[in-house]
Amino acid sequence: MNIPERTLLRRLFMPYDLTSMAPATKVLVYTLLVLWLLVVLFPLYWLFITSFKLPIQVNDGPDFIPFIDFEPSLHAWHYIFFELGNDTFRPYLNSVIVAFCATVACVLVGSFAAYALVRIQYRVKVGNVLAFLVLLGLTVFTVTSLGAPLFAAAPVAIILFVFFVAAVGRYFRRALGNDDILFWIISNRILPPVVVVLPVYLMFQRLGLLDTHIALIATYTAINLPIVVWLMRDFFAGIPLDLEESAQIDGASRLRIFFTIVLPLARPGLAATSLLILILAWNEYLLALFISTADAQTMPMLVAAQNATRGPQWWYMSVLIVIMIAPIVLTAALLQRHIARGLLIGAIKG
Amino acid sequence: MRVRMIDVQKSFGQNEVVKNLSLDIADGELLVLLGESGCGKTTALRMVAGLETVSGGTIEIGDHDVTNVLPKYRNVAMVFQSYALYPHMTVAKNIGYPLKLRGTPAAELDAAVRAAAEKVHLEDLLHRYPRQLSGGQRQRVALARAMVRTPSVFLMDEPLSNLDAKLRIAMRVELKRLQSELGVTTIYVTHDQVEAMTLAHRVAVMDEGVLQQVAPPKEIYDDPANLFVARFIGAPAMNIVSGAVEDGRFTVRDGAVPLAGAAPSGSLYLGFRPEDAVLAPVEEAMLRARIYSTEMTGNETIVTCLLNEEQVVVRADKDFEASMDTAVGINLDPAKARLFDSESGNRVRR
Repeated sequence: MNIPERTLLRRLFMPYDLTSMAPATKVLVYTLLVLWLLVVLFPLYWLFITSFKLPIQVNDGPDFIPFIDFEPSLHAWHYIFFELGNDTFRPYLNSVIVAFCATVACVLVGSFAAYALVRIQYRVKVGNVLAFLVLLGLTVFTVTSLGAPLFAAAPVAIILFVFFVAAVGRYFRRALGNDDILFWIISNRILPPVVVVLPVYLMFQRLGLLDTHIALIATYTAINLPIVVWLMRDFFAGIPLDLEESAQIDGASRLRIFFTIVLPLARPGLAATSLLILILAWNEYLLALFISTADAQTMPMLVAAQNATRGPQWWYMSVLIVIMIAPIVLTAALLQRHIARGLLIGAIKG
Repeated sequence: MRVRMIDVQKSFGQNEVVKNLSLDIADGELLVLLGESGCGKTTALRMVAGLETVSGGTIEIGDHDVTNVLPKYRNVAMVFQSYALYPHMTVAKNIGYPLKLRGTPAAELDAAVRAAAEKVHLEDLLHRYPRQLSGGQRQRVALARAMVRTPSVFLMDEPLSNLDAKLRIAMRVELKRLQSELGVTTIYVTHDQVEAMTLAHRVAVMDEGVLQQVAPPKEIYDDPANLFVARFIGAPAMNIVSGAVEDGRFTVRDGAVPLAGAAPSGSLYLGFRPEDAVLAPVEEAMLRARIYSTEMTGNETIVTCLLNEEQVVVRADKDFEASMDTAVGINLDPAKARLFDSESGNRVRR
């Protein structure tokens, strides 16, 4: 046998077993991790101390250590909470209402869709889809160019479509399956949001809903649905069908199965997805810029507004960002313990 | 309740899984559906449960035609191979779930859960979660959940196959006792012939979606309806020897067996059980063979012989010893030998 000698170099670079790191690798990995930690945490630290600085101290140059480099002051906090007062609290409340409502609505609706895509096999005939699009085009044409009233044209188109599906539909062979539907849903998110900003604005203008919570909630629900469907589908697919069949035999309806068996078992997925959607809705800027002007203005608007004619007012921005981070950190801490694995242990097999 | 399957068929696309299955199961009977995996037995069971739609035929439970009735209205209880326990509920919640869905008052529910748990000796584990239980305990939770209400039929899909050998035998005994005490009609699916023989009032043997024979265990063993059943039941299985019947004697190259009574003539198969044959000196024997291998199992010796290049198994005394390739004679009880048609494989009666 030819067992190589354990030299110092080998000791440093060869792991003892498959589940541990070699000493040298360990040093390297932890060095990189600590460096990255600094990169991530430093902006937060900067933000925090800047919120306690006077404008002169911010412009004065790089001071980082409170009480030594500079004397902390509550002036920015005072301005945001007392001088701005309601102008801070209103956007804050708006953000909370909009983000949390949109998250709940989005996760609920998206979960329904994801569950359906996992459990029900759809076969949507391509011919029927084309027929629908043609009839839709014709309806738009007759209403806009020929002046036909919508309340007459739309029902006629719907009836024609139903007849078409009943009479011709079964002769089509090509059909779209669940994967195609999922791709279609995700593809909605591929589009850059800026493309849809104007149509969305016009739509809410027509409905008279500009600058309302409802408009923002509806928009955020819609744009984040693809993400929920995409993520939740995998979580639902991991739940054994046996459990649902068993519940069905025990006498549960489909909705009952969904709410008492499927959702509780997908809790880790629900928590992770909700958190992601909450963050996306909480930080959204572009659409809010168009849809909300005053009453429904959200926090990202307010933060951006601090960069006004007098130049960027870092101290006010810092205070706003610190209080803006707080609810998300809190929610993440609350949801964190639900994002645990191993919930399905004991469901099947011995 | 009486369960009737009348000419039931099931196909998945082009693939016919169950072909014209007709079974009449009496009230309180324990019928075992036995067959290899993929023979359609589980599909047949799932059709009775309502988890699978029926392609043709009728299913009746009691006096009701349930062919197109949803599972929750059939009042059947099912034990899954995987147990299908709800992992996010305690044992008590699991057992009580079917009653909770029926809106049973809390006090009544608790009493029923306790009673069901006592029947399977789980009363001390009611507050545990499935993940904290052993395989055998999980199995008993699944049983208790099925027994907590009074179903018209118990459906069991290989309920013991995930247990280790010792526990399986113990649970088999328990199951037989419980079924007899409760007197509920039971359909039990298994691929394990010992389970089938020991549990069943009647065994239904299936192969490739076709019902081969329905009969009490003893009759299945002694009077197999065709070659498939003969080869499937018994360990070691029935010996099948090909030959021809001439002048009331079944003749092979190396010997002949006299057949009592009016025997048909032509090319046939002769079947006999390993225990219905004895080894004898070559010169006095009906059939001449040579020893291929011997296996001492403790209480007996399984002797595999070569007769006409076909393997034939004979049970011999545990002290039997012989070296390989020695010539040996086989005598058998002609009254216990069975004849099968060489083309259809069906039993030929004498």
